[in-house]
Parts: sequence; structure tokens; C-alpha cells
Amino acid sequence: MSYIKMAQRNLWRNKRRTVITISSIFFAVLFAVVMRSFQLGSYSLMIRNAIEQYYGFIRVQHPDFTDDPSLENTFEIDPNLPVKISKVPNVKAVTARLETFALASSGNITKGVLVLGIEPEAEKQFSNPEQFLVRFTIPMAVWDSSDKKLALSDKVRKVLAAHMGESFTDAAKLASIFKDQPIDSMQLNQILHLSRVQGRFISNGDSGVVISSMLAKFLNIQVGDSLVMLSQGYQGASAAGIYPVVGIVRIPNPELDNRMVYMPLQMAQSFTNTHNLLSYMAINLQDVSDKALMATTDSVRKVLANSGLDVKTWQDLNKVLVQQIESDNQSGKAFLFLLYFVVFFGIFGTVIMMVHERMHEFGVLVAVGMQKVNLALTVLLEMLMMALIGIALGYLVALPIIHYYHIHPIRLTGEMAKMMIDMGFEPLMPMAPFDFYVLWQGVSVIFMVSPACIYPIRKILKLKTVEAIKR
Amino acid sequence: MAIIEVVNVDKIYNDSEVKVTALSNINLKVEKGEFTAIVGPSGSGKTTLLNLLGGLDTPTNGKIRVGDVWLNELKGSKLIDFRLRNIGFVFQSYNLIPVLTAGENVELIMQLQGVPAKLRKQVAADMLGKVGLADRINSRPAKLSGGQQQRVAVARALASKPQFILADEPTANLDGKAAENLLQIMEQLNQTEGVTFIFSTHDQRVVSRARRVIQLEDGKIKSDFLQ
Repeated sequence: MSYIKMAQRNLWRNKRRTVITISSIFFAVLFAVVMRSFQLGSYSLMIRNAIEQYYGFIRVQHPDFTDDPSLENTFEIDPNLPVKISKVPNVKAVTARLETFALASSGNITKGVLVLGIEPEAEKQFSNPEQFLVRFTIPMAVWDSSDKKLALSDKVRKVLAAHMGESFTDAAKLASIFKDQPIDSMQLNQILHLSRVQGRFISNGDSGVVISSMLAKFLNIQVGDSLVMLSQGYQGASAAGIYPVVGIVRIPNPELDNRMVYMPLQMAQSFTNTHNLLSYMAINLQDVSDKALMATTDSVRKVLANSGLDVKTWQDLNKVLVQQIESDNQSGKAFLFLLYFVVFFGIFGTVIMMVHERMHEFGVLVAVGMQKVNLALTVLLEMLMMALIGIALGYLVALPIIHYYHIHPIRLTGEMAKMMIDMGFEPLMPMAPFDFYVLWQGVSVIFMVSPACIYPIRKILKLKTVEAIKR
Repeated sequence: MAIIEVVNVDKIYNDSEVKVTALSNINLKVEKGEFTAIVGPSGSGKTTLLNLLGGLDTPTNGKIRVGDVWLNELKGSKLIDFRLRNIGFVFQSYNLIPVLTAGENVELIMQLQGVPAKLRKQVAADMLGKVGLADRINSRPAKLSGGQQQRVAVARALASKPQFILADEPTANLDGKAAENLLQIMEQLNQTEGVTFIFSTHDQRVVSRARRVIQLEDGKIKSDFLQ
């Protein structure tokens, strides 16, 4: 009869109490893992949408560009520089950009836009905006003709009306709006046919532009239409142009999707009269951890020594996003602390009851010759077993959940989605994959159980045998 | 040499505002192989004396020798270890560990002594056989009658090969038949194997079978005689 076996049997001598205690640990671990996974998944999505697909993890720019991102703070490119930077360890992709603001107009609608002059081929390696090329947009036609050409139910027509003008990058995403409505494949094919958009992405030397889907919707522009743009060029020159829209992209970051105009770098330089000037070079990384980011930033700085250019990390350039993530992260941690605090008292209550119930037995064991330390060890093992069973069960249920929702993120709808979009976030709730944060929840429970163990250990070590036997 | 020697022992409880003298000027010797009953009315100090002899409590004055060790010289874990290797206990309310089987309860003491597992199992079966419970080795205490539990407690006490066994009112919770059965077993162990028993009791049946009777009254030895 080992101490482990004894502890194991003691665990089940009061089944109901053990089940309640294990359940409280199980639910704490489950909620903590799921909640933390949602949090970290959201941060990862925010960073991916904002940083990987636009800002870049590191930027090389004019020292004054952060404070004054105008064309006056651009720099001339050394043709060898991108090659040198791309050879720095951990650099995944480098791209050169010219960025300016303009007024874009179609018909009598005008909107301020972000003009991004890109090297289309390099940009494909960097943020690959082509992957967001809109293939389908639900037009008015589908809605209007639905009664005549398609035998659609009222519910399906309502869905189409609700998504009118919305763009999709593939057929599956468009089909997903009907997930709760009965629609056969023939009807769906007809809707897809009527919604199809013949767009393409820009290439080097192209004369057209690609605009983002929410901007296209706002300006009521379709592929093939023209976009008029007016801005201030380099050193006060006026910048104006009319460009055919060759494609529409649906950028996951709603803030960018609301105002983006992509054009080839040379066209942007011509539009702004900046010749061969750049706003910045954006760099994406293989390993995006803080440690790797800092090391790569230092390496890029060495490559750029004496160039007069500045190297900034995404945290330097996105202080608001960093603060948003940090404050949300802290409040999440505070919530977890509260959750564990409440569970701690549950466990502590169990421990007190258990100790008082068994004081007589402890007394007998010490009387017949069991060392107090060994007795305390047995009780400690009981507590540890309860904690480990609760943690294991929590993981067992939580891991499939986080795996599923990591692959199939929850897409928010209605007011919640609108609120997220208004805040500049994609209305998605993905979960972070399995990582150290999952293990930390288990470790936290062990840390939480540890102080609860102090009470029985202290009671046992201070036990007066005769008094305990009398109880 | 006597296996137990009690010299001028007093036990005074100071816990409450009133001083209670539980034992006063106790002097006695117990020889190996004795079958001794400590008798007396409630509150006479029987259990207190047994607790002192077992090293569960310490005298206010005086000293107690078990074998060649003075108990007042032992503290903490050394005292617990001494009890483990030298003194067997049988309690009034059996006090078996409910989550262990009869065999495991007997084995527990030997495990604490560091006896190898194979030998433990063999000895446990042997001890349970001696108290007539060989067939209940795998039963948990809840499945045993009071008399059977007390016999397991005797087997547990025997398993540690102690110098003597202290039994605090061992028959108090047993019916007549179970008490008789237990006494027969204890008597037999005493006669055939020379196990020393010291027990406190109210029970006249037990007193009548004891060879030595120590009578306590108000914490003092009133009489001490062989019968």
C-alpha cells in the first residue's frame, strides 16, 4: 500500500465532495483556457490583419516620417538596399512603398483615401493583397430579378438584401451567408453567376488601380469604372489623375478596407511627382516573437548604418494598437485571477472540511507510528491528484474546442459585427492554437492549490496526538 | 528487568482555569509477558496512564522507561518512531483506516517500519489468521462487525512486533460474544507467544481474566495485586 494508493483511495471516500472540487477546477481550467485562447486569437488576428498585411513588422523610413508622414519625408532608394535587407536572418519579405493621401471621386461621391504605391511582385511576397481579390459582389440585380428568374424563398431574398453590395473573395464565402437557409445548388450557381466580378490584381507597369471593397461600395464603383484622384504632390506640386479600376480587394482589416487604393509604385511616383522616392520599406519576419523582432531590428540597423534612415518596429508605429492589446490583456489576466481566486476559496473550504473530518484518523496514524511528514505528504498527494484530475479534464474538453475554433473562427454578425468593424477590427473571433498559455492555466491551478495545502500541512505538523484521538 | 517502569509520575492538566490532577505519584513496573488490567471508575486516570505508557502524552512530573529508553528523552519524530517499533495500540473504537482493507491495515504498520512488501503480506495474513480473520483479509472495515474490527486492530498491533500492547477499553463497544472472543484471542496470544498486554477496562469479564489488576482511584493507585 503506497502513499499514492492511499491518497487515491482517500480521494474517493467522500465522492460528492471530491467531484464538486474537481468540477470547480475543471470549469476554471476550461473557462480560463477558452477565454485566454479567444483573447490571444484576437490579438493574433489584429496583428496579422494590421501588421503582416499592411504595416510590416519593421519599417525603414525617413527619421521624420512617423511624426509627419508626408511626401516631404520620403527617401531615395538605393537599389541594393532591399537585397541587403532580405539577406538579414529572419527576414521573410521586403517591399518598397510610396504612401500618400488623396481625395478619390466617382460621380458626385468623394472620399479621402490612402494611396499605396507598391511593387506588385514584391508585394505578393509581402502581404499578397491578390489573395483578397473580390470574385463576387452581390448586386442589386440578384435582388431585383429574384422573383422572376429564381425561385427563392422570402428568407433567402432577405439574406441577399441584407448582403447587397457585399464582396466575397470566393464562392464558399458567398455561399456561407445562406448557411441557415434552404437553397439548392442550381439557385446558388445562378446567384454566383450574377454576382461574379471580373477583376484582376495590378502588375508592374500597369495603368490601372485596385481599390478596397468598402471603398468601392461607398463610391459605388465596379471593375472597369474610373476613379478620379486629387492630391498634393511632392514639394507642393498638384497631383491629379484618372485611373481605371482593374480589381477590387476585400482587406480583412476594416479600417484599411474602407480607404485603400493600390497602384503600381512607378504610377504612384508619377502621380505625386516623387520620381524614385519611397515612403518606407516594409519588412515581414519569419519569427515574430519580441525577442526575434528586436534582434532582427538591430541587424537591419547595422545594414543601414550611415544611411540616415530610421528603423522602426510595429510597436513603435502602432502605439494605440499595442496599448489596446496590452490593456485588454491585463483585464483578461485580472479576470482569470478573480476566477482562480474564487475557485481557491472553494478548494480551501473543501480542505478545511476534510481536515476537520479526519483529525481523529490523523491522530490514530501518528499514534501507531506514522511520521507527521509522511502523513502531510499523503494529504498533499490527495490535493495534487484532485488538481491534476481537474486540470486534465479541463484540457480534455478545452483542447478540441480551441482546435476547432482556431480552424473555424466564429464570425460575428449583427450589431456586434458592426461594432467591431467600427472599431477597425475584422468581426471574427478566432482561438489561438495550443501553446504555453494553455499549460500556464494548469500551472496556475497548481499554484492556487499550493496555498490551500498549507492549512492541512500545518494542522498535521502541529497535531497533538492525544487531543486528535479524543475527537 | 521490567519492560516498563513508571517513576513518581504526576499528570496535571492546566488547560482550563482549574487545575486537574489526573494522575498523582504513580509508581509501577510491568514485566514481560504480563496480562494486566488497569481498572477504576470513569475519571480515575486509566486512559491518561495508558497514554503516558504509550508515549502519546508526557507526564507533568516523573519519568517512564520502556525497555532501556526513558520516554522523556525522546521528542517529535524520534518518539513516533519509538512507538512504531516498540508499542502496539488497540483503541476502544477500533480506529482502523477506512480506506484500507483488513490486510492493508495490518500491513500499514509494517510498511512504516520498512518491512519489504512480500514479507508484509505474509505476516499480515499470518496475524489475521491468528485472530481468526484469514478469510476477511480483503474486506474493508465497513464490511466487518465491531468484534472483527477489533480483532483486526489486535492483529495490527501484533504486526509491529511490539514490546507490549496497550488496549484502551478494548471490549467497551463489543457485545458479550464478541468481547469473549476477543479476550480469548488476547489471552491465547499472551500465553502462547508471550505478548504483553496492558488494558484499561470497566468490564468485569476482562478484569476476571487479568492476572494482574491495578486499581486506580482519583489518579492514584489504590491497589495492585495478582489474581
